[in-house]
This record gives sequence, structure tokens and C-alpha cells, in this order.
Amino acid sequence: MEGNPVGLIDLSMEVEEGQIFGLVGPNGSGKTTTLKLLLGLVFPTSGSGEIFGYPLGTLTYKQRIGFVPEGPYFYDHLNAVELLRFYGSLFGMGGAELDDRIEELLKLVGMWDRRERKVLNYSRGMLQRIGLAQGLINDPDLLLADEPTAGLDPIGAIQIREVLMRLRDEGKTIFLCSHLLKEMEPLCDTVAILNQGVVCHQGSMEELLTGEDGHYVAIFRDLDQAALQHLRVLAEQVDSKGEQYLAAFSDQQSATAAASDMIDKGAQLIEITPQRLTLEEVFIEAVGGIPE
Amino acid sequence: MSAIWRIAKATFHEALRRRFLNGILIFGILIIGSSWAFTYLQPGAELKMLIDIGLGAIRFFGMLIAIFVGVRLITDEVEKQTIHTLLAKPVTRAQFLLGKFFGGVATVFTNVALMGLAFVTVYMVKAPQLRELTSDQGPAISMEFMASNIIKAIGLTCFELLVLVAIAVVASTIFSWVMASIFSFFIYFVGQMADFLRELASPEHGADTASTIVFGILYRILPHFEIFDIRESILKDNFVPWSLLGNVTGQAIICVVIILMIGYLFFNEREV
Amino acid sequence: MRLGWTSKTIILTIVVALIVGSIPLRERIRYQRLVLGIKRPMPLTKIVDFDPTALSGVMIGAILGGFREVAATMMWAKVHTLWNQEGTWYDCLYVMRSTTLLDPHWIEPWRVTAWHMAYNIYAETDDARQRAILLDKAISALKEGISWNPEETDLFIELAWTYFDKLDDYEQAAKWFRATLHMPHPAHIDRIIAHGYERLPDIPKALDWYDYCLKRDPNDDIARGATLTIRERYLPAWRLLEEGDYDGALSLIDQYLEVNPFGTIALHMRAHILEEAGRLEEAFATWQQAADKFALDDLARRKVAELGTILGKDVAPTATHLLRQASPEQMSPGRVFKEEK
Repeated sequence: MEGNPVGLIDLSMEVEEGQIFGLVGPNGSGKTTTLKLLLGLVFPTSGSGEIFGYPLGTLTYKQRIGFVPEGPYFYDHLNAVELLRFYGSLFGMGGAELDDRIEELLKLVGMWDRRERKVLNYSRGMLQRIGLAQGLINDPDLLLADEPTAGLDPIGAIQIREVLMRLRDEGKTIFLCSHLLKEMEPLCDTVAILNQGVVCHQGSMEELLTGEDGHYVAIFRDLDQAALQHLRVLAEQVDSKGEQYLAAFSDQQSATAAASDMIDKGAQLIEITPQRLTLEEVFIEAVGGIPE
Repeated sequence: MSAIWRIAKATFHEALRRRFLNGILIFGILIIGSSWAFTYLQPGAELKMLIDIGLGAIRFFGMLIAIFVGVRLITDEVEKQTIHTLLAKPVTRAQFLLGKFFGGVATVFTNVALMGLAFVTVYMVKAPQLRELTSDQGPAISMEFMASNIIKAIGLTCFELLVLVAIAVVASTIFSWVMASIFSFFIYFVGQMADFLRELASPEHGADTASTIVFGILYRILPHFEIFDIRESILKDNFVPWSLLGNVTGQAIICVVIILMIGYLFFNEREV
Repeated sequence: MRLGWTSKTIILTIVVALIVGSIPLRERIRYQRLVLGIKRPMPLTKIVDFDPTALSGVMIGAILGGFREVAATMMWAKVHTLWNQEGTWYDCLYVMRSTTLLDPHWIEPWRVTAWHMAYNIYAETDDARQRAILLDKAISALKEGISWNPEETDLFIELAWTYFDKLDDYEQAAKWFRATLHMPHPAHIDRIIAHGYERLPDIPKALDWYDYCLKRDPNDDIARGATLTIRERYLPAWRLLEEGDYDGALSLIDQYLEVNPFGTIALHMRAHILEEAGRLEEAFATWQQAADKFALDDLARRKVAELGTILGKDVAPTATHLLRQASPEQMSPGRVFKEEK
């Protein structure tokens, strides 16, 4: 858990099926508390929530969900297989079906070769992997994961990311909590930004990073002095980068108009692209900048 | 049911690996194993000494184990956050509480059984010798029911500790484990003196109305731990009737049900 | 899922119902343990009366739980060490007291504690008041020991003997000796009761008890001899005394005393007859005579103190006399420890 759990003030979210939903926010913004609410570990003082149409905390939906805790800790006298068998048994699984599932999952998270090792001797990364495996033991329709890639080496992080994307492709819904924005950016379909217990921004990743009134950037080369002068008038801002000139426009129309003007003046247009923000930039703007 | 069993089993396996528990157990067995060596302290009452030390050690170390196992059962899960993973599975809080409780009880019973085995062995070897030793000082000590009474006493100790584990577990759902330990010790000690409370509450002994009410209520609601002690009968070699054992175990089970229900009320409200 | 108020109320109701419903079972267990003698009675009032440190002893006992008996043994070993050091007797009493509280079913500490007070420490002081308190404490200790162990003959005998030997209270001695008669007990107990009445003197009661001894064991030669002696030496005088013929009774006793001037019982009878006749000065002189003749005749010494007080004479008080005079309040708890320390 990061810091003290904050009191969540306003938390209205809807997660669509078959998506990876990312809940991002600074440390202590209430991400873990949100997950706990969804799992029925803590209780809302007011309001309500549902998963698959069942109220929070009921057993019915827990059959169909998986949970990957942050920095997971397990009964450390067990090895990987015993641990998964224990969790599987809680779902009423057993026999060959469970054994097959365990093998499949351990291979999926890259732990099959180390399955005999006791949890006691696990590295952080191994714990994270086995944490994911136990979250998937019941083949859940919804996976809730808290910082699933924290503490992993880059390759490990990529592997986990691939697993999550594959699950999404299989039609599962994944609810991710993280403060690792760079990890979330390529992964999530929808993002909600949580700050001090309030969802202050929510939307599809695409919308969030481009923005509705997003800026456009045109890149030119072979500009003469006159053309450059003209471009400086048309564009909001012009920067040079080697032989290239990057002109920023407030919308697509003015960008294309300026581009045709420049071509007429003999300049070479390399590309016009919507200006993409990084999730980090969106996030910092959403939470009101970096505190002094 | 299956979830309770699975959690109890995992709890039991984990608890058996606790180093400090093993430490207490080994210390207890050492004392029991060497109890015959202390008997010289009470010349003429060697057999009494042997039984006092043996059964005393089982009760005393059993109490320590019960409290320390009990208070850590749930607090460990919360501190290490394993409870999150568990309760995310289709496991109710009641199942979790009961699973942890039964796992703890199994751990305590195993420890008591090992200490009991050590004591019964010492008794089998040493008691006839000690009886021989005192035979010239008076009539031979009667040992007709002694062995069976010792087994009964160990059995009753198990039920005593059953109640104590319940108290410790429930206390740990309300307080921190340190507070819960202190609380459990306190209840155990006061419970040992239930008769004392009865007298304090008795107007015949000069109690005023306020103390009659306060001590009377305490006497009614606190578990009575001295009912599990039948050493008097062992030393006098009286047969301990099964009806008494039945009543005492019944009382213990009622106590445990009460305590666990109270615990459930608290634990179900608790944010973990 | 959180529970609604209805569920909570139902659970609480069940809890209360179980607590209330199990009260009869608890009482049943209490009763069974009492009947079987497993119950450990906690004579609270008695404990407080005996020693204010007692409460803490009870607490420590509870804390030690199953280990209290072992702790008592360790403590008892400490008593032996302390006892052999000069000037630590009163400290020793505290440790002894704690031992009896830790393991009240262990007979030896009760007996030895009382014995130390009534005999050993008693002999170390000449102060009658102090001695009286010591005797009182010894008696209390033994009585409390009996209340914990009502089936132990030894403690009854110890208490009766203390009454007999140290307090010269033959009525009390007989009462406590009699209590052992339904338990296995040594044969001489019956004769001691008879002998106590002899010394008191209460000749008819003494004869009754010797008769009892003979009925129990027709071959009891000591009892037979005693019966013959009493009938021959004292019974005629006693009969005259009962008829009110004091002079006749006195002359019979004096005849015997001329032959045998060291007859304790005869002297006691003489003094008793004089008391009955209201001739207190002469009774006082006779008791004085007995006290001078027999170093161990504490009864005579007590009578001297008693009569001396009545007659306004300047006599040294004796412990037993003070003890009989004192109300229980005057023998306040802990005084023995406080004053001496």
C-alpha cells in the first residue's frame, strides 16, 4: 500500500468489458483503496458499486474475478505449484483440471522451470509473476491488478504486458492500477486519472493523448527566408531542428492551409501529424502541475 | 466448508514453521522431560511434584503458544496483505475467520499432544519408581485412576486452550496484536480467578450493590478457566466422571461459539 | 458483505441467549467440582484477615496459572535458606505465606508455618502480647489450611495439638481432634482428648473418652490404666464437688497430694475445687504452686494471670491469657509483622 489510504471523495467510473482500463494517479491518490472497495475489503461510506451486476463484496462475482495485489506476499512455505493449488482449491477446482491450469499459468508467467522453489526464496520479480498467475487461476472474466509490473526488469515488464494484452484479446476485462505512466500508455484502452480521491479525467487513451482541440504539427524543409517569414506568421510557433522546421498550428485546417501555401513557395512538406501528448503530460496537467 | 478446511490447513502448515513456537515447544518438552529431576525439591511428595511440573508445564506453555498463535493468525495476514488475495477469492469473512481459528487450534493441539506425549512417557517410566520411594513413609499412594486422569487432564487442557485461542483470535480482530496478547493474558488470569469474582460479588461477603452488579456480570460473562483443572483429583486418585468432562467440554464449546460470534461481528465490519 | 442491522441483532441475541442459557451448566460444573473435591475454595475473607499481602499472592498465583505449584516449591526451598539466617524469621513468614497461597493444597507449608510461629519464633520472644499474636496467627494459618484441605487429617491434628499444647484450650483441642475421628487417624488421638479433659479438669468427660477408647479397642492398656487411676484418685473428690461438698472434696485431694506432691492433675483439681468454692485467693495460690512446680504447665500460668487480674494482683500476663481476653479485632491482621519489623 502506498502511504495512508485516502478517503475517496468522488469515484464514478464505468469499465466496459473486453478492455484494459487503467486507473492512474500519484501515490496516495486512492488507487489501492479503489481496488479494495471493488473487492469488498473496505466499505464505501455512501454510494454503491457493482461488478457484473452484483453488489460489491458478494461472493457471486468473486468466482469470476482475479486479483493481482501489489508487492504480493504469500504463504512462504509453499512452492509455486502448491500455492496455485491452494488458491485454485478456494474456487472449488481440483484434480487434473487444476494441474493442467497450473502448468499452463506457470509457463505463461515464465515460472515453470522454477516451480519447485519455495516462495520464501522468491525475488520481487518472481513474486510479481506468481502473483499474476494466482490472479488468473480461475480464468477470470475480470482481472484487477495493482501495479502488476512494479519491481520487474524491463523484459519481465514486457512479458507481463504481453500477457495482459493477450488476455484482452481473448475478451477479458482488465482493471489496472498504476503510477507507472509509461507502462500504462501502450497498454490501456481507457484511462481514469485519480487525484486526491477524485477522478479528474477519464476517457479513451486515444482521446486523452490527442485531445479534441489538439494541436497539429507540420514539418517542412528547403524553406527560403521569405517562406520562413510567412510560416512564422501563419503558425503559432516555429522551431528549427537541423534542416527541418516544425510549425505548430492550433487546428487541422490552418495546418493544411499553411502547408499548401508553403508548397506553393517551393518548400517540401514532410508530414502533418496531430500533436500527441504523453500520458505524463496529460497527467501532470490533470493533477494541476508539479508542485513547487 | 471446503474453504474453511483449506485455510485451516494452510494456516496449520504455516504456523508449524514458526521458529518461536518451536522454541516454546522445545523448552516445554525439555522441562517436562526433566521434571523427574526436580522431584527432590519436595521430599515425600515426589509424585505430586512430577505431576505438578508435567501438567503445569503443559498448561503454561500451552497457554503461551495458544495466545501467541492466536493473536498472530489474522494480524499476520493483514500486515503481509495476504488477506487481500484470500478475500478476493470466493471466501467469506466468516469462512476466513473460522479457517484461521481451526488452523490455529490444530497447531496448539499438536503442540499440546507432543508435550503430553513427553509427559506420559516420563510418567510411565518414573511414577512406579517414585511410588516405591515413598512406600516406606506410609500407605502406598493409590494410582488406580492416575494414568487415565492424566490423559483426561491433558484433554481438558486442550479445551481450555481452544477457548483461549478463540479469545486471542477475536481480540486480534479488534486490537493490535500486542494489545490483543495483553488482553488475552488478562482474560485468562481473571478467568482463573472466577471464584474470586463470585466472592467479590457476593453480598454475604460484604459486597455493596455496585460491586454485586459489576462483579456478578463479570462472573457470568467471563470464561471460567479453573474448571479445566482437575489436578486435585489426580493427586487424590479420584475417578473423574465422564459427566463432568462432558459438561466442561460443553461449556468450552459454548464459550468458543459465543466468542467467535462476537469476533465475526467485529471482523465483518473491519476494513483490511 | 456487511451485515445489516437485523443480522447483527440476531447474532447479538444468540450471544446473549447462549450466555444466559449456559449459566445452569456453569453452576452444574461448579457443583460437581465441589462434590468431587476438585473445587479450590477461595476463602477470601479469611485470607484478608490473615495477611494483607495475601491478595497479591493470589494474583501472582493466577498469573503463573499452571505453574503455581512449581513456583510454590521453589519458594519453599527459599524458606529453608532464609530460616537458617539469623534475624530473617519475619521475612520468612511472608515467603511462607506466599507459598501457602500459591499451592494451598500442599500441607507441609501450612503445618511448618504454624509450627514456626507457635513454637520457634514464640520461643524467641518474652513479650506475652507478641506471643499471643503469634499463637493467634498460627491458629489462623492452620484453620485456613484446613479450609483448603478439609480431608487432610494432619492439619486437624496439628491444629488440635497447638490448642492442646500451646493454648491449653482442651475444649478446642478436643473439638478439632474429634473432627479427625471419621478419617483414618492414629489411635492415640482418642486418648489425647481424654487426657486433655483430665488436665482441664473435667473428670466425667475424661472418663467418657477413656471408655470410648476401650470400647474401640478392649486391649488398650493405657486407657484401661488411666480409667482405673481416675476412678481411684479423682472421681470420689469430683463426686463430692458435684454435691457441693467442697471441704470433703478438698480433703480427699489433699490426702492424695500428701502422698504424691507432684501430681499435676491433683493440683489442678485442687485449684478447680477452690475456684468452684469461690475461694479465689487459695485457688490463685494453688495455681501458683503448680506453675512453680512444673515448668511446662502453661495452663497453671494462664490461671495465675487470670485470677491475679481478678484479684488485683501484680502478675505477669501470659500469652494464652491475653489471647483469651482479646477480641478478634484486637488481633488485627498483620500486626505481628508490623510491630516486630
